[in-house]
Amino acid sequence: MRDQDRALSLAEQVLKAAAGADQAQVTVTISDASYARFARNYIVQNLGSVSTQITLTYYAGKKSGSISTDDASPASIARVVAAARDIAQRVPPDNGFVSLPKPAAIAPAGRSYYAATADATADDRVEKLLPIFARMKSSQLSSSGFTTTQINTVAVANSLGVRAAFTGTMSGLQLKAIAERTSGFAEFYAPDYSGLDPAAVAERAATKATISREPANLAPGDYTVVLEPSAFAAALKALTEGMGADSVLEDKDSWMVGRIGRRLFSPNVTLRDDWSHPLFANAPFNVNDGAPTKKLTLIDRGVLEHYVSGTYSANKYHVPNTGHPNFPANGVVEPGTKSREALVASIERGVLISRTWYERVVDPRQATITGNTRDGVYLIENGTLTKTLKNFRYFVSMIDALKDVELSNVQVLTEPDSDTGYSTVLPDAKLAKYHLAAQTSFA
Amino acid sequence: MGAHHAAAAARILDTANKAGAQYADVQFWTIRQEDVAVRNGDVRDASDVSSAGYGVRALVDGSWGFFGSDRFDNAALDLAAARATALATSGTKVNDRILAVQPVEKIVAHYETPMTKDPASVGLSARANMLLAAERGGHVAKNVISAYAFMTIYTTAKEFYSTTGSAITQVLRQAGAGCGVSALGRDKDVQTRGGPGDFALYQGGGYEVVERANLAALTPQYGREAVILADAPPLPSGVRDVILDGSVLNLQMHESIGHALELDRSLGWEANFSGVSFATPDQVGTLRYGSELLNIYADNALPLGMATVGYDDEAVKPKRVPLIERGVLRAFLSSRDTAAQTNLPETASVRAQDWASVPMVRMTNIVLVPHEGTLASIVADTKDGIYVAGMRSWSIDDHRLNFQFGPQIGYEIKNGKRGRIFKQPTYTGVTPHFWGSMDRVGGHEDFQVWGTPNCGKGEPEQAGRTSHACSVARFRNVTVGVKTDA
Repeated sequence: MRDQDRALSLAEQVLKAAAGADQAQVTVTISDASYARFARNYIVQNLGSVSTQITLTYYAGKKSGSISTDDASPASIARVVAAARDIAQRVPPDNGFVSLPKPAAIAPAGRSYYAATADATADDRVEKLLPIFARMKSSQLSSSGFTTTQINTVAVANSLGVRAAFTGTMSGLQLKAIAERTSGFAEFYAPDYSGLDPAAVAERAATKATISREPANLAPGDYTVVLEPSAFAAALKALTEGMGADSVLEDKDSWMVGRIGRRLFSPNVTLRDDWSHPLFANAPFNVNDGAPTKKLTLIDRGVLEHYVSGTYSANKYHVPNTGHPNFPANGVVEPGTKSREALVASIERGVLISRTWYERVVDPRQATITGNTRDGVYLIENGTLTKTLKNFRYFVSMIDALKDVELSNVQVLTEPDSDTGYSTVLPDAKLAKYHLAAQTSFA
Repeated sequence: MGAHHAAAAARILDTANKAGAQYADVQFWTIRQEDVAVRNGDVRDASDVSSAGYGVRALVDGSWGFFGSDRFDNAALDLAAARATALATSGTKVNDRILAVQPVEKIVAHYETPMTKDPASVGLSARANMLLAAERGGHVAKNVISAYAFMTIYTTAKEFYSTTGSAITQVLRQAGAGCGVSALGRDKDVQTRGGPGDFALYQGGGYEVVERANLAALTPQYGREAVILADAPPLPSGVRDVILDGSVLNLQMHESIGHALELDRSLGWEANFSGVSFATPDQVGTLRYGSELLNIYADNALPLGMATVGYDDEAVKPKRVPLIERGVLRAFLSSRDTAAQTNLPETASVRAQDWASVPMVRMTNIVLVPHEGTLASIVADTKDGIYVAGMRSWSIDDHRLNFQFGPQIGYEIKNGKRGRIFKQPTYTGVTPHFWGSMDRVGGHEDFQVWGTPNCGKGEPEQAGRTSHACSVARFRNVTVGVKTDA
């Protein structure tokens, strides 16, 4: 792990230069990421970048200054330390700050580095796309999406002795197959790019895009829905973004306030936070401060058990430090027993939602969200997908929606969230009542 | 700011050329972002983030490749040029592609964002103490549970060089400041009122932008309104006339006009992520986008604009371009490639987030032409309606048609006077129908250049800086008070 060692070595250098601080923390990230973006069955953006970022937070008592740079030269490190010290000496204090984390044992990471991802070239990525374009053209379909390969490294070191470093690879493919009036979506995410079968992804997206030639209308109202993993992950975010100690204890606007220990959801709902799940390539520590990340059961068979915390809020509010940023970074929803097909087959009349867009929390206390379906929403009649529907705006309290749930027996790693950068592992979800508030004029 | 990287640029362009690029350009960035944030009497963030790097674009047989790097030794310069060219070359393996346009101009120029107060003249402790004082002013009642204030100052130096001989240097400056207050209601509901704008005032310029936000004057008002909101009823469902404050109207423009008129989106390039658009190039001159009062133009030289530049990131000079005139679609926000594919005008709307990000079409500065009347006079002219301000949540579909917005506060208007306050005053609509219902647009008195620093687009996602200048406006017969059940 050359990048991991280099990152930790850089962090040590900066920390040594900041020896005069009461406390100091250095974070180093190194990234090498490439994307081939395509539309209309050709590549419209083909890009890559390498970057290094060094951040020093220098503490003078409860006062702190934070400086970031991507220049790792000795002269730059000296400037960073001087500037961070200068800020820390001039700004008023943060009385909520108690201490950086002390050293604690960090479990060894699981396998997280795959050569097929790390060594992928521009030509390798294009080779993955060519069968997709061929499949699209064979059905007179257009396409849009991307494939990506990434190597991501983070190291955290602090003046109390914390040393933590991690390198992981990640790869992905998203494909929207586009017919004249309808579309279909499929995706793949895994640390190992060699697991990507582009033909299979293309087939799934193309099949969904051609269920109907024309999208149908369906009156807005309450329906039983199946959320495929991408859509379920987005909806679940309404809960997870309120599951940090800051939201619960400081903002006080979390849906968890006053509900911990209560049975809120269906017994089929168990949400864990587990960085070691085999589908993840996640760090076993909080990348914000280097504290070890605990494995937690946050919702246990419908009962709300825990929120998560980082060192700052744990110290400030005298709660256990779970080693998380202000949200569950490694969410895993336990699967159910039915296959995807059986889940759909169990519905007499309902709606299957592939993917959603622009989801926003309208009321954090009720975890109420609104958003839009996209890239494939289908009518289920007598257990079968019968028609493509025009898209919907939905408006739902996830606390209510998860009271009656069945989950499929698959587990899928979903796209990293655009706000947090973290993925979730989860199955398809059948929700007995979901409010589709309005229908659009397109699919 | 001078041409510090001319030698490195020459090496990169030469390497790309030798590797097979028919055209190449490189832009060097030196980025600085200074942040101070306070909350409940504490300084939560005092940070200064710097980054220096460069992005290389190479064109091979009509296919672009881009590579960004923050490594400056000769081997790294060569590698970046080679990888950009290899990326471009790999794209040529795809048949039936639309060929990109090869730039031919040579431009030598310099541009700096004007400012009246250099941020360097205001020390860090003065910045923090100003914010702390403003934040303290929000604690107007016992049930105020938190207040915050923050500022951000952006300084970006760019040097652009191309194989056509272009050499463009720019120093771009933007700044922003915002504040908010949260109060706890009797039923434990928490409501927050903040701003100015949708959540802060962001403009092009120096420290004068922070001063213009005038946070100390806002927090007591926000505190009083948060306290009322915490125990206020939600807005009842119905169909009402709605007056959008500039703090809401600018985001409505952003979501349902600015994004909808990005030409790459309309051509399908963003279909997988940011989405497409109901507006298409073949509808130019015929699509009725809104009422006769809807006049929108793009101007990337707009004073105070967050997206104001001397040249965009593919060396196109800004000009004022009408996008919608008297409610009819006239043009899109474009790049060289998208403009060439559609025979529509170039609008200098290509931006990258930073040196590591590929330049792409972005919503930049858009302006809703002011008409007549003040907010007060429009309220006085409204018999039965709602005036909404501030922003909590917003959502629009991937065709930019069906939207639902949730402002922070709603004031009932009865017979021309403001009355009760409602919390969660949601409203919903369909873009052309909604803009078609606009029957009043305020004049210059309430006109403001609003902006946002974090408009998301692209894969990987890039944050863009945009401005949306507007006054206030009234919309007739809008669906309000959206419910979660049938």
